[in-house]
Amino acid sequence: MTQVYLIYLVGCVVSLLLYKKNNLAAKVGFSISAVASLIGVFYFLINIGETSTYNFSEQLLYSPNFTLEPVGNFFSFVISLIALASSIYAIQYSQEYEKKGSLAVMAFLFNAFILSMLLVVSASDVFWFMIYWEIMTVVSAFLICFNDSKSSLKAIMIYLGVAHFGGMCILSAFLLLASQSGSLEFSSFTSVEMSPLYASAIFILALVGFGSKAGMFPFHVWLPKAHPAAPSNISALMSGVMIKLGLFGIIKFCLWLPIQEWWGLLIVVLGALSSLLGVLYALIQHDYKALLAYHSVENIGIILLGIGTGVYGIAINSPILATIGFLAGLYHVVNHAIFKGLLFLAAGSVLFRTHTREIEVLGGLAKKMPFTAIGMFVGVMGIAALPPLNGFVSEWFTYHGMIQGALSEGILPRTVFTLSVIALALTGVLVVIHLKLYAVIFAGTPRDKKIWDNAKEAPLSMLVGMFILIVGCFAFGIGASVVTENIMTVVTSFSGAYEATPDGGFIASTLGNKISLPLITMVLVGAMTLPFLIVVIFRANKTKPRETDPWACGFKYSSRMQMVAGPFTGDLRRLMEWLFRSKPTVEDRGYFEPVVYTDKPKDIWWNAFYAPIINLTMYCVRKIGLLQNGSTSAYSVYILLGLCLFLVISYLL
Amino acid sequence: MSIFFMLLQVVVIIMLAPLFDGMARVLRARLQSRRGPSDFFQTYRDIQKLFKRGRTVPECSHWVFRFGPYTLFGAGAALLAVIPISYNAGSLASYASDIFVVLYIGAMLRFIFGAASIDSGNPFAGVGGSREQMLAVFVEPVMMSSLLVVMLLAKTSNLAEIQMLVQNGDIGYQMPAFAVASISFLWAMYVECGRNPYDLAEAEQEIQEGVLGEYAGADFGIAHAGLILKQFAMIGMFLTIFEPWTFENSFLALIVFILKAGIFYVAAVFIDNFGPRYKLLTSFKSNAIVALCVSSVALILYIVGV
Repeated sequence: MTQVYLIYLVGCVVSLLLYKKNNLAAKVGFSISAVASLIGVFYFLINIGETSTYNFSEQLLYSPNFTLEPVGNFFSFVISLIALASSIYAIQYSQEYEKKGSLAVMAFLFNAFILSMLLVVSASDVFWFMIYWEIMTVVSAFLICFNDSKSSLKAIMIYLGVAHFGGMCILSAFLLLASQSGSLEFSSFTSVEMSPLYASAIFILALVGFGSKAGMFPFHVWLPKAHPAAPSNISALMSGVMIKLGLFGIIKFCLWLPIQEWWGLLIVVLGALSSLLGVLYALIQHDYKALLAYHSVENIGIILLGIGTGVYGIAINSPILATIGFLAGLYHVVNHAIFKGLLFLAAGSVLFRTHTREIEVLGGLAKKMPFTAIGMFVGVMGIAALPPLNGFVSEWFTYHGMIQGALSEGILPRTVFTLSVIALALTGVLVVIHLKLYAVIFAGTPRDKKIWDNAKEAPLSMLVGMFILIVGCFAFGIGASVVTENIMTVVTSFSGAYEATPDGGFIASTLGNKISLPLITMVLVGAMTLPFLIVVIFRANKTKPRETDPWACGFKYSSRMQMVAGPFTGDLRRLMEWLFRSKPTVEDRGYFEPVVYTDKPKDIWWNAFYAPIINLTMYCVRKIGLLQNGSTSAYSVYILLGLCLFLVISYLL
Repeated sequence: MSIFFMLLQVVVIIMLAPLFDGMARVLRARLQSRRGPSDFFQTYRDIQKLFKRGRTVPECSHWVFRFGPYTLFGAGAALLAVIPISYNAGSLASYASDIFVVLYIGAMLRFIFGAASIDSGNPFAGVGGSREQMLAVFVEPVMMSSLLVVMLLAKTSNLAEIQMLVQNGDIGYQMPAFAVASISFLWAMYVECGRNPYDLAEAEQEIQEGVLGEYAGADFGIAHAGLILKQFAMIGMFLTIFEPWTFENSFLALIVFILKAGIFYVAAVFIDNFGPRYKLLTSFKSNAIVALCVSSVALILYIVGV
């Protein structure tokens, strides 16, 4: 594993050394990270079940000790996989930022970002974990900076604000735990004796801290602001991988602490809320990158449903329930990384060629960018969990985990799990509406002819980056039994086991249900060929179709007539008015001008939780600011008062 | 062997489904005091005629729209394939017949429908695609709670196993939760069928099925047949879980299933004829809330363990 880390380090140094040769630095820097990631993917996959440690030289502070357990290997694999696609993609994508900043610095930060994420996963004591955790945050904040604009600066401030609040919670949780175990080493944390109240306090702190990084409701507000502001290859990494490290932290803590039942149920409830609210807010976005960012909130929710089930399973001493819960959660971690990475890369290609993030002015791009269109289509199908793509398999496991949970005795767990199943089903329906993301960008007629004329297919390296993830979407779906087997080696390292992959390419749930993804694929492919057969057998008229304008009730067709993203979800928006609080405005600019209609729905939780805190802080700061009045004599008085205070204290002591 | 039966049931239903559609049309015409088609084979003749016609497509559309009817039909056929009619639990084919597979193939159908509707560039198609999605938002919680009750009682999500359990009487109407769930599930299935008063697939110029308005010739024929298949599959789903009368002999089971589903298909005309179509956000919403309450009752009955 150190070899992989070292290559990233080399990538950092080389890109900085090539600071003067901007383009070369980008090519070399991103190629090195691609090579490192490729090695990483295979290394971590092969050694997924192993535990490996590496000791740095003793002279360094604390003699840093790296440990990769199976869970760490799994997360390192996910990081490397997305980093691979993202680095290859970035080789040509980074040209977009040639004028905005130094590409050498970008390549350096990119390598450093991946390295810091890998190190977070492998850190084995509190000190280094926190160091890497903060480096990861700061480096990603710098990377967002490359899209230099007013809104991105604001996004960074919000991101850093939430991240530091989260960091504080994490550190307190760690220190409280360390005070009980008497050591900062992670190895000392297992099976520490403590009172239930104390353990719960640590758990809540960790859940808030890591949850805010993961984008769990209600700490999700930074995510739809920060992720769209970053360059797309960075968004793919942030959304696909970085936020998952929050889940990594939650899993770690749950394995250390003496778990109580309500923790699992709390995670499940938060997961259900995140998934439902995330998708509802995603639906009404007009900025396609913000839309994808809200989707991350939703998918984090789905992962939390799985993990919560697992935690509940450990709490009630049911290894079977724990196993399927963690299996579902981890499977969705890798799936979400793949299809969200793919979606962000495809969105980046659209941005690269059209230079707009507004969904409503695009349209008809499939004819100009056919491959990107396929990438986006597969990504949307993956996120909508349509079989036989990867999303379906992990949601199947999640459903089965929760059904297993709902079978347990007791009114409370039954209620929580059944309602969560329904929340997940509703989320599934709402995600399907995201076909509009594909359809409005790539289908229909172009809404802005100028943008459409200038668009063309993305360059080769970007296509290769997307292709890797398209293959991933299919492979992790159809090859579900192989993937499940590998994830089971991770899960069994800390939980029980059941036969999840019976012979014959099946995957099985704890209920004993078996499904076979290759069979389902065959059924689907077979069914899809039937209509073509019918057309041939019954000798349908297959002459080349005549191409016309769409029918417009006898009026002359105009591209303004077609459906856009806003009205497509209009009924839903009216139904959910209480959640969006949007105030539509209609501006009439005279008879001959088109009416301007705006409708900007709000995230009501911003006003509910964040605005009061920000206002309070501003108020306090203004009051404290009175002290700094700019007069030197006042400052000397402060010094004198301070001196007197210390004298009094020393006298009293 | 079971794969063969799976194929057989799909092919046979594809061949026979238009016959029941023809019957339904004759019956509907009679109920409305119209003359209607002269015999039951009108739907075959319609599709045959459509197959002969030339096609037009909107200039702006790409493969999503152009392959739309074929994927729509394919998804409908896949739905029929995963319903365990002529094969039993434990056979190879039954490992594809899972409740979640059915639900997500249904989602795939809607996905294709919506994407094709926007791709057509037609304003009515877009509205129709949007309403199709909204319909699902209303129906899905009802459907999921009903199915969840069944899955929890049966402790499996495999349709073939559930069918077997219900037939053997291990679970069934003697359980209050199951009985109540059957009511709400019947409603959900009826809405999913796309019938009046919620939707009427036959009236293609209407907004709901606007996307069909852009198809012509063989494309339209295939899309039309695909929607009939979906209706059949939805009825089949209800019958499999709540009225399974299957037989060991696969051929007999298939014949009985087709008769049963056909009777339901034709009988739904009686509901079709009452009342006007509902508005999506007002009348339909209040309608859906009633169904949601029924399904919640089923869920509560399970939770308290009755």
